[in-house]
Amino acid sequence: MIAPYLVLMAFCGFIPLIFAIQEVHKPSWVNLNGSYTTIFRILRDFRVIPALWHTLFLLAIFVPLMIIFVLAISLLLDATPVRGNTFMRLVLLLPGIVSGGIAVLIWTSLIGSDVHWTSNSIRWLIGGIAFTSGVGSWIVIQYGSLRSISHEVLEAARVDGCNRIQLALRIKLPMIGRYIGYMTILLTAGAIQIYSEPSLLMSTGLTTDWSLSQVAYSYAFRTGDFAGGTALSLDMLIPNIILGIIFILRTDFLKKAERP
Amino acid sequence: MKYSAEKHNPIFIKLTLWALTVLVLLPFCWLIKTAGPDYLKGIDNLFHAQDGIVLTWLRNSAITTLGALLLSVISSITAGFVLAVLEIPFRKTMLVITLITMLIPITAMAMPLYVMIDKIHLNDNIFGLIIASAYYPFGAFLSYLYFSSALPGDVVGMGRIDGLGDWGIFYHLGIPLSKSLWSIVTFFSFISLWNSYELPKVLLNDPKHSTLPMGLELLFGQGTALVGVLMLIPPVLLYLMSQRSIERGIFSGAVKG
Repeated sequence: MIAPYLVLMAFCGFIPLIFAIQEVHKPSWVNLNGSYTTIFRILRDFRVIPALWHTLFLLAIFVPLMIIFVLAISLLLDATPVRGNTFMRLVLLLPGIVSGGIAVLIWTSLIGSDVHWTSNSIRWLIGGIAFTSGVGSWIVIQYGSLRSISHEVLEAARVDGCNRIQLALRIKLPMIGRYIGYMTILLTAGAIQIYSEPSLLMSTGLTTDWSLSQVAYSYAFRTGDFAGGTALSLDMLIPNIILGIIFILRTDFLKKAERP
Repeated sequence: MKYSAEKHNPIFIKLTLWALTVLVLLPFCWLIKTAGPDYLKGIDNLFHAQDGIVLTWLRNSAITTLGALLLSVISSITAGFVLAVLEIPFRKTMLVITLITMLIPITAMAMPLYVMIDKIHLNDNIFGLIIASAYYPFGAFLSYLYFSSALPGDVVGMGRIDGLGDWGIFYHLGIPLSKSLWSIVTFFSFISLWNSYELPKVLLNDPKHSTLPMGLELLFGQGTALVGVLMLIPPVLLYLMSQRSIERGIFSGAVKG
């Protein structure tokens, strides 16, 4: 039953991944002899440090904001029947289904063309675009996961005297813990790998090689240094692998359906 | 019977939600206004620009999105079911590979994928793009999370006692219990395929083989707002169609407590 998935996983996931890892071994501009030390040497590139700071900025401010916002809105939508709930969720989802180019068009036009962008203000703009395009779809998923909590559990908690806030924090959030972990890992990956927002804002002249993905892309497709580009791309995986390991060890992230 | 929590009117919740909805809606009103006022003429111009190449892109987008959607939804949901419910060797390894391939930056995968597609002679061909886009680890992992809470072991155990095999359990228990999962996975797979930009850019060269998001770049400036509005229509329709089943709880009817 899992065969179709395994074939696709091998062909589009696993084998390309092995290819990519081998690619790193080949000679690169930062390592002319070629070896796996390219993975570390690439980090000395002068463009990597600023890009790293931009990434940390997004990780420190926007990723936590997104997580809190998604959970807060999903809990509010789930807390009480509000007329127009369906309409609200559709509207909140809209920014998430806009393709990158259109999102940048909307934002730049709304803000106006007479704004003088600085490297400080543009990072808030990039974060803002990433925020709006990222939260909508997660609200759909987390709302869905909240709706899946059994009514009996919620009813029992109410009988025990839980108010809405206690119900949300003590019952609902722990019950969707795995979905929250999944969201955290993916939002972190999204922030580290952000690419389309800064590249579509390049006309400001401030966002060339702004993010790590852009630097990796420059390596691979502008200078033809696939070893360097791939090495940097694999470096971007490291924080997520650490985060993944934490979730796997600390929660029942990879557990099977419970047996009686 | 009313409990204390239900007594006060949650006006604060309603106000917050409505304020937010209006705030999000404003930019879209602006987008629709910019695309107009003469929509029909705009659409007519768009479809006749450069010998109707926009229609070719639309067709390509429709074929790749629907083809890859079918493959990705079926393969990822069955995979999620197997990984969550059945006893199989290398289960954790498969989950970890799923997570890693989902998280790996497209920059690292683009070249190798190009090589793979080239090897089966589907380079610069929309069928090559369909195959390359059909792997959907996000959906597989989401399905895994879903089935591992929606299909508890005792339900599966009862199915076994009734003489059901793996397929029987999937058909009689998995599918009926996962209507909202099918909607969610279909919907998200659709959005990511419909808006997909990087992969088509790597795999397709001929402008005639382009998809809509790629073509947008070539058109940029001419009627972008209008294309933006038009591109929103299919996902919004799909969402409206699937919304009811997304809402439905997993546990409704299957397991008590």
